[in-house]
Amino acid sequence: MNRFFKNIPQVPWYRVAVIAFWLLAWQLLAQLIHNHIVLVGPWETLEALGQLIPSSDFWLSIAHSFQKISLGFLIAFLSGIILGSGAYRFPWLQEFLEPVMVLMRSIPVASFVILALIWIGSGNLAVLISFIVVLPMIYVNTLSGLKSTDKKLLEMAAVFRIPLWKKIRFIYLPALLPFLMNGCRMALGMSWKSGVAAEVIGLPSVSVGERLYMSKIYLETADLFAWTFTIIIVSTLSEHIFLFLLSRLQRKGKTNHATDPS
Amino acid sequence: MQLILHNISKSFGDLKVLSHFSLAMESGHIYGLMSPSGAGKTTLLKILMGLESFDSGSIEKPDALRISAVFQEDRLCEDFTPVENVRMVVGKSLTEQQVQAQLCRLLPPESLKRPVSTLSGGMKRRTAICRALLAPSDLLLMDEPFTGLDDETRHNVILYILEKTAGKITLLTTHQQQDIHALNARLIHLPVTGSH
Repeated sequence: MNRFFKNIPQVPWYRVAVIAFWLLAWQLLAQLIHNHIVLVGPWETLEALGQLIPSSDFWLSIAHSFQKISLGFLIAFLSGIILGSGAYRFPWLQEFLEPVMVLMRSIPVASFVILALIWIGSGNLAVLISFIVVLPMIYVNTLSGLKSTDKKLLEMAAVFRIPLWKKIRFIYLPALLPFLMNGCRMALGMSWKSGVAAEVIGLPSVSVGERLYMSKIYLETADLFAWTFTIIIVSTLSEHIFLFLLSRLQRKGKTNHATDPS
Repeated sequence: MQLILHNISKSFGDLKVLSHFSLAMESGHIYGLMSPSGAGKTTLLKILMGLESFDSGSIEKPDALRISAVFQEDRLCEDFTPVENVRMVVGKSLTEQQVQAQLCRLLPPESLKRPVSTLSGGMKRRTAICRALLAPSDLLLMDEPFTGLDDETRHNVILYILEKTAGKITLLTTHQQQDIHALNARLIHLPVTGSH
């Protein structure tokens, strides 16, 4: 766990000063506007968050949305790696998948949400939307990572008759992981943005999206800000945890071989 | 065991690199290939490795011929240590301790657990040589293996090669006649055929 905390970059003092400046500017602007429906300041946002945190509804909504969005992300992560690897191995598969990936990247999330509502209802809407948004990102990064593999190392592996699993571990994975981590960094943020947006449209019960929508209906701008702040925190935390696990995998690949019997 | 090349020819577009080249090699011998740059030494080695096709001729070799090689470049997995790079190719034929002991013959012990990317050019070359010599093989191909090695290291590497190539067919390329003598190798001149 110590490594996890080590991975969190140390924030230099000038960054803290910049953040403090913008928080102050936000507070001043809120006081200047002096209308709690149009804009609330950071202090009122924190107050609203303080009122939300003790309620079980708050935690249930986060848990439900986290579960759905993460499930969509994980299915897309695995599918993207499998399809990307397949497309690398079989160029015809890349050609075959290209129109689908282009469509998934270019069709607006809102259109997918409406379609998904018709197809599957609102219950698993965030799973599907998160999947649709993440899949092309992981697919493209997997394909690019594998294509960046050093061809001379692959020739070396062919001459020495190195088995496939060792090629994956020692040649393909080191080439793939930087691309995959970069893709995940983008995809995790996008899965939360699109997943919550889908929930706002589909309104599945006990979800972050539903809470955001309710804040809008009842003109509770402080709640809206508090929920937004919560989404940022949860999204950033899940990004750090997932990338930490991926980097562990990378390190494990490098160190385990020393004790490997074969 | 014998490896026989009959009239091998190879061109890249209009450029003829090998023209009707023939060679017979037997296990237990070291063959030193000398010729000016561009004469096709690397191409010939790549043909023997199965990485390059040839236009005409034939190669007579045993069905299950095991090849190991020192390439012109080191071709090491840079994120991994010399021990891991060697264990990658030796399979179960050597334990980790045995690999370490062998690597210590050519490398300082403290370098064995460092990623290859942090090693000097000469250390990388010695790792590549060690990998090729320790991999189970019948045919050992070495493309200018002594590049970047000082005289003392070169001498140690030559002694190690002599020890580890017994019973194998060894073919290496070099620009230095003294390497051929030191390895007691049979000299092969590859004629320059480069023509359009």
